[in-house]
Amino acid sequence: MAKNAKKPASARKGSARRPAKSGNKRNPRSGGRRWFSWRFLAKVSVVLLVLAAAGMAYLDAYVRDRFDSHVWQLPARVYARPVELYPGRVLSRNDMLKMLELMRYRRAGGAPTPGSYTTDGNTLVIHTRGFRDSDGGEPAQRIRVTLEGGRISGLQSGDGDSLARLEPLQIGSIHPGHTEDRVFVPLERVPPLLVQMLLAIEDRDFYEHHGVSPRGLARAMVANVKAGGLVQGGSTLTQQLVKNFWLTQDRTLARKLVEMPMAVLLELHYSKEQILEAYLNEVYMGQDGKRAIHGMGLGAQFYFGRPLQELEPHQLATLVALLKGPSYYDPRRNPERALARRNTVLKVALEEGALSDQQYQRFRERDLEVVPRGASPLYAFPAFIDLVRRQLARDYPADVLGEDGLRIHSTLDVLAQLAAEKALSEHLASIDGSGDTLNGAVVVVAPAQGDVLALVGSRESREQGFNRALDATRPIGSLIKPVVMLTALQQPKRYSLATPVADEPITVPLTSGKTWTPQNFDGESKGPIPLVDALAYSRNQATVRLGMDLGPDAVVRTLSQLGVEKTIPAYPSILLGSIGMTPFEVAMLYQPLATGGFATPLRSITDVLDKEGEPLARYPVDTEEVLDSGPAYLIQWGMQQVVEKGTARAARSVLPADLKVAGKTGTSDEYRDAWFAGFSGNHLAVVWVGRDDNENAHVTGSSGALPVWSRLMAGLPQTSLPQTPPPGVKKVWMDPSGKKTSGKGCSGARQYPMLVASIPEQSDGCGSATQVKEGVMEWFKGWFD
Amino acid sequence: MVQGLVRLALLAVLVLSGCAVTPPAEKAEPVTASTELQGSPAMALLSRAEQARAQGRTGAAGRYLERALTMAPNSSWLYRELALLRLEDGDGHAAEGFAQRALRLAPDNDVYRAELWELVAAARAEQGDRSGADEARARAQALREPDRA
Repeated sequence: MAKNAKKPASARKGSARRPAKSGNKRNPRSGGRRWFSWRFLAKVSVVLLVLAAAGMAYLDAYVRDRFDSHVWQLPARVYARPVELYPGRVLSRNDMLKMLELMRYRRAGGAPTPGSYTTDGNTLVIHTRGFRDSDGGEPAQRIRVTLEGGRISGLQSGDGDSLARLEPLQIGSIHPGHTEDRVFVPLERVPPLLVQMLLAIEDRDFYEHHGVSPRGLARAMVANVKAGGLVQGGSTLTQQLVKNFWLTQDRTLARKLVEMPMAVLLELHYSKEQILEAYLNEVYMGQDGKRAIHGMGLGAQFYFGRPLQELEPHQLATLVALLKGPSYYDPRRNPERALARRNTVLKVALEEGALSDQQYQRFRERDLEVVPRGASPLYAFPAFIDLVRRQLARDYPADVLGEDGLRIHSTLDVLAQLAAEKALSEHLASIDGSGDTLNGAVVVVAPAQGDVLALVGSRESREQGFNRALDATRPIGSLIKPVVMLTALQQPKRYSLATPVADEPITVPLTSGKTWTPQNFDGESKGPIPLVDALAYSRNQATVRLGMDLGPDAVVRTLSQLGVEKTIPAYPSILLGSIGMTPFEVAMLYQPLATGGFATPLRSITDVLDKEGEPLARYPVDTEEVLDSGPAYLIQWGMQQVVEKGTARAARSVLPADLKVAGKTGTSDEYRDAWFAGFSGNHLAVVWVGRDDNENAHVTGSSGALPVWSRLMAGLPQTSLPQTPPPGVKKVWMDPSGKKTSGKGCSGARQYPMLVASIPEQSDGCGSATQVKEGVMEWFKGWFD
Repeated sequence: MVQGLVRLALLAVLVLSGCAVTPPAEKAEPVTASTELQGSPAMALLSRAEQARAQGRTGAAGRYLERALTMAPNSSWLYRELALLRLEDGDGHAAEGFAQRALRLAPDNDVYRAELWELVAAARAEQGDRSGADEARARAQALREPDRA
C-alpha cells in the first residue's frame, strides 16, 4: 500500500536557493540611471529565479507526493459467490447459459481464451477466467460440463477432480468519500496492442521526450492544418496525466504554466513504464451517474462488460478513441462519431504497423459492440450491497474501504437474486398493475450456513433507496404462531401436536385495565381443534388460548432461545404477532426452525482479500444448537401442514409435487402487512408485501406474499425437508379427541409425530394392538442399536 | 449414566436367560469419510481441506469444508471436520455447535457417536464449561460401554 508520508520540500529548496543568493551580493558600483536600471533588472531576475526555484521545488514535492499516494486509490470491490460446478448439482442448461451471458463469456469455437465457451449439444466447453480466493482460488482452464435432466451429469477439469468454479461476478464497489471508480490493471497485463494504439494516436514520441514534445506539438499543428480541424492534440501522455491527476480541466493560464514543468518533473522521477501505467489507470473514460469511470480496466468493464485482457482490437480501439472526448465520443450516446473515431484509430494502428492489413479490414467492419447501460451486474443489487456495506463497516474504517482495493467475497447467488426480484415485481404488478401503492421485500437464505443468497429491498430492485428488507420494521402477525406452538411442544408432558386447543372466543384482561378480545380471520370459532390445526389454519383464538396457558413470558423466552436479541415485552398481544421486525430479522428468527434447531448468524460476506488476492479475513460459519431434535422436528412437521393443507396450500400447485416444504403466512391488522416465511431443505425465504405509508394494503399473507414465495422457490434448485423422525419421536395414531391413542383405519384417527413423553397411555381400543406391538418392537430394537 | 447401568443390567438378564441366540449388536463398520462421501465431489474438497490444515492454512481449510458442505449438506463427517478445525482455532463455541450437528446426522455407530461426544466435551472445556464437558464425556462413556460387555 503506497500511502507515503508527505515528503518535505525543504532539502531541495535550500540547494536551489544558494546560487541565486550569491548572485545577489555582487553589486560593486552605484549611481547613474543606466546603473540603476541594470541593478533593478538583476534584482528582478534574481527574485524571479528564487520564486521559480521555490515554485519548482514546491511543484516537485507536490508531484511526487500526489503520484505516490494517488495512483493506488481503489475502492473495495464486492463479488457474488463463485459458481460452483460439480456432478449432481441442480443446474439447468438455461441457467448455465444465463450465467455465462451475465459474466460476458463469449461464444467462440474451441473456447480458445479465458472468458469464452462453446456448446456441443448438452455439453459445454468453458474456458474459465480463474480467480484468487481464500482457498487459493482457481486457475483459468478449459472445462467440459455436461448437463442432463436439469443437473450437471459430468464434469472434466484440468486437475482431474470433477470440480470447477467460475470466477465470482463483480456486483459492486464500495467507495465512501469519493465517487471515482477504477479497476487497477498493472502494465504487464495491459494488451500490448492497446499501448501501441494509444501511443500512435496520442503521443508518438512518448519514449523519446522528457515530458513535453515540441516535435509532437509541431506535428499536431501540421496535421490539424491539413485536416482543417482539430484531429490531434499536441500534449504528451505525461502532460495529459498531469492534467488528469492534478489539474482542473479549465484552461486557465496558471494551469498552462504549471502543466509543462510538472510533466518534466514527473519524467525526472518516474520511469516511462510507471507513467504509462498511471496514465492507463487514471485517464477519465466517462460517467455512470455519480460515478466517474477512470482507467482502461474499468472502461473495458463499463463499455464491454469484460476484463481489459479479453477485448478484441476493435474494442481496444474504441477505448483509445474515447480519450479525445469521453462524452463527445460516447459509443452509447454518439455511436456514429465513436465509430468514425474508432476507425481512425484502427487506421493509425495500421500505419504504425500495429495491425496487419487483413486485421484492419476485418476489425473496421465490426460494430462497436458496447453492452447496454443497464445490463451490467455492477450496481444491479443495491439492497444486497447495502447489507454487505453494513456488515463491513463493523470491521473496516471507511478510508480502508475506499482506497485499499479490498476484494469482498459475498454470499450472493445471482440466479437466486434474479428469481427473487422477478417473483416480487411480477406478482405486485399482477395485483396493482403498474401502480406504485404496494411495495415489498424478499430475503433468501441458505439456512445451513446462514448465507444470504438474495436480498430485494424494493419492487424497483435496481433503484437505490429505502431498503425494506433491512429497514422496514413491521408487525409480524401470524408469523409468531410457530414460536407459540414450539413453546408448547417443548413441554411434551403437557402438549403434543394432537393436543386439543379451544378455538373459542376469549377475552384477555390487560394490565391497563382494558380487555382484549381477539377474533379469527374468518370471524368464526371452530371449537376444540388439534394444536397442529391451530397452526395450519392460523386460528387466532386457539393460539391466544394456548399462549395464555403457556404465558406470554414463556413465548418471549422461546424467541430469545431462537436468537431474537431485542427486548420484547410479554404483552398478550405478542401472541398474535404485535412485534415489529424487519424481513431480515424474520429470516434470522426462522433460520433455526429451518435447520432443525441450529442457530447460525446470517452472513453476507465469506472472505476479504487484499488487492493482490491474498486472504485478509474470513467470516466463517458459526452455529449453536438451540433446540432439541424432537421439538425441532415437530414444529417443522407442523409448518409442513400449513403448506400441505392449511393457509399456504396454494403453494402446492406451484411447487413440485414431491417437494416437502414448510412455512407460515402472516397478515397484520387491517391488511397492512402480508408475510410469508418458509423453507425447503436448502432455502429459507421471507417475503413481505405492504405499503410504505402503512395504510391498508388489501392483501393477506396468502394472497400478497405466498405467491411470490412459491414462484421464487419453484425457480430455485430445491431439496426436501428431512422426513425421518429423530430418536425419541414416534408416529402415533390418535383418536379424534387427541387424548387417546388409536390405530390406522379407526374412525377419525389421525397420525402425528410425537415425542415419546407425549404419548398417552390410554387407548381408544381400536387398532391399539398393532400400534402397541409396533411400539414394543421399536423399543426393543432401540436397545441393540 | 443411570441409563447405561439399566441397559447393562438388562443385557445381562438377556444373556443369562438364554437369549444369547439373538445376535448381539453387530460390530458396526467404522465410520470414515468415505462412509458418507464415497463418490461425492465433496471428497476432493475434503482431502484438500485436510492438506491445508496440515500446512496450517486453517482459513483455506475452512473454506474448502464450507464448500464441501454445499455439495453434501447432510454429511456428519464434514461437520465433524469443521468442529475439529474450529477447536484447533480456539473457537470452542462453533466447535461445539458443529459437533452437535455432526451428532444429529451421525450414522448409527456407537464408537463414532462416542467420539463426537468427546469432541463436544473438548469444545465445552475450551469454553470453560467444565460441568458441560463432564456431561458430554459421560455420554461418550455410556455409548462405549455396550461394546465392552
